[in-house]
Amino acid sequence: MGDIFNILLLQNTLRTATPVVLAALGCLMTQHVNITNIGIDGMMLIGAFFAVVGSYYTGSWVGGLAAALLIGILLGLFYYLFVIRFHSDEFIIGVALNIFAGGLTIFLLRTMFGVTGSFSDPAIVPLPTIRIPLIEQIPVLGPLISGNTLLVYVSWILVPVCWAFVYKTPAGFHLRAAGEYPDALTACGKNPERMKCLASVLCGVLSTVAGAHLSLGYLTMFSQNMSAARGYVAFACVIFGRGNPPRVFLAALLFGFIDALGLRMQKYIPSDITSMAPYVVTVIMMVAVVLMERKKKKARA
Amino acid sequence: MSMKKLVSVLLCLAMVLTLCVSCAFAENSGVRVALCVAETLGDLGFYDSANEGLKRLEADCGVIGSVVECKSDASMYQVALVEAAETNDIVVAVGWQFWDGLTAVVPEMPDTKFIFVDNGLDGVGDNLLSIVYAENQGSFLAGYIAMKLSENSTVGVIGGENSETINNFIVGYQQGALYANPEGRVLEPIYTDDYEAPDKGKEAALSLYSKGADVVYQVAGKTGLGVFEAAQEQGKYAIGVDSDQKYVNPDVIIASMMKKVGDSIYTVISQYIADGVFEGGTIWEADMSTGLVGLGYGDENMTQQVSPELKAEVEALAQKIIDGEIVVESTR
Repeated sequence: MGDIFNILLLQNTLRTATPVVLAALGCLMTQHVNITNIGIDGMMLIGAFFAVVGSYYTGSWVGGLAAALLIGILLGLFYYLFVIRFHSDEFIIGVALNIFAGGLTIFLLRTMFGVTGSFSDPAIVPLPTIRIPLIEQIPVLGPLISGNTLLVYVSWILVPVCWAFVYKTPAGFHLRAAGEYPDALTACGKNPERMKCLASVLCGVLSTVAGAHLSLGYLTMFSQNMSAARGYVAFACVIFGRGNPPRVFLAALLFGFIDALGLRMQKYIPSDITSMAPYVVTVIMMVAVVLMERKKKKARA
Repeated sequence: MSMKKLVSVLLCLAMVLTLCVSCAFAENSGVRVALCVAETLGDLGFYDSANEGLKRLEADCGVIGSVVECKSDASMYQVALVEAAETNDIVVAVGWQFWDGLTAVVPEMPDTKFIFVDNGLDGVGDNLLSIVYAENQGSFLAGYIAMKLSENSTVGVIGGENSETINNFIVGYQQGALYANPEGRVLEPIYTDDYEAPDKGKEAALSLYSKGADVVYQVAGKTGLGVFEAAQEQGKYAIGVDSDQKYVNPDVIIASMMKKVGDSIYTVISQYIADGVFEGGTIWEADMSTGLVGLGYGDENMTQQVSPELKAEVEALAQKIIDGEIVVESTR
């Protein structure tokens, strides 16, 4: 068992969880304004693609990240325009976005780089890996905390920042009000639509940054469909954590842990079952949430 | 016709003929060939190799080619075959996923020739030729090299799924590695259950490297591209599969086990165009003696980790396999 439960398992957990954490932080913004955004996966995929494009053409990871941010803002505005302005169905737009992202990235891959399926090139500059001098030497925590790529640290910082934003700032208060009781916000002279727009753009940016982490941090390549349903897992984490950033973070870690564990359990359990594990756990998590809510309501009554 | 004209015409003819030796008299044959791939192109291996074969046929034999990607969509397999068969003379199905589709479609379309790559399906019809490869024999050599280059005598392998074909690679690899060093260790294979997820490939490889392997063989299509990234990050070695993948990252890929899918398709179709021979109803086993499986080391400009002596050893081993002195295990 020593070859399963070791520091590498935790490192793997962190690596697998980070893109989900970033995307989930974006998703919880729209969740708070009462929009069920299932288009996260498509946003991630587009973000992953444009991060590679940016990095390839500018020869710097900064360019890649900037491209992902820019496309994130555009996607957020696009989502706002259709779902909030034009009152389209959020599910239809979300699904459309996911399918569109798959097609668009394949199409651009062929037209821009003349390749099919995947694109890797030495000219793609990955995100930097950050080593923290002193912490590096701490036995167990050292290799966990130090030596990760940039966006891993960004995700750690963003969890408390998002928490503070949502629960401790006036803007966060307005954001939640726009979701829970928009009329009250209007009565205060604030525009709920503006808050929804903000949430939508934040969601777009965080999702595309999650994608950038996939294609420039985790790997240094773009491969079609590389978001691999992580957007849906992120969504599940948001529901599980009830939109509270630290809880959502823990949910994402749990998902990452199960995924990493599955890979290592193959010696004992067939691979078909281990690769199902993360999704089975997601379903169990969802049921648990519903049951917990019900219990709470009963207790209140 | 004047003598001069006659000579020039003859010369032209001679030139044209030498240009297409492999397809004598069949230039601009106009034969329509459709390539149906079960997943998508871009794996830099199996499917791309098949596509390469089609492109060569287009260039050399005047074949009119087309590609249908089924994108792992199970509802597409049979439809793609039917549609391709209706407008083409030859349909090449690449991927085990077409097994059921071919069983249904082949008898219904007797005028179309079918080629099934990578699986042996017989008894369906005289218009179907199956090609299977001795990937176990090539993988034996890959295992041998891996163990020879491993500093701590530990090597690993990553499979795309736990299936007969993939395991055929793995048993050969394991046998080859232990042949090189009976004391050495081949780690338990990891299956990613996904041919299109480089991230999973990277995680799987990192876990093998952390267990002490310093060479990992990838048999996982596009997923395997992540294995090369892991090797780069850890400063370890990897072995490519299906195509000569060394160019992807010459610093970490020491060799590739080539399964020349494209060449075999080329051979069968160009032969058919040249003299009308199509051995339908049979299974062609492309083993080491056909030269369609074996190792590739990129070209000379790339860093070569495998010494010329070791290459010669591998050459001798290959001969032993061809002669039957070494019998490589198989899952088939």
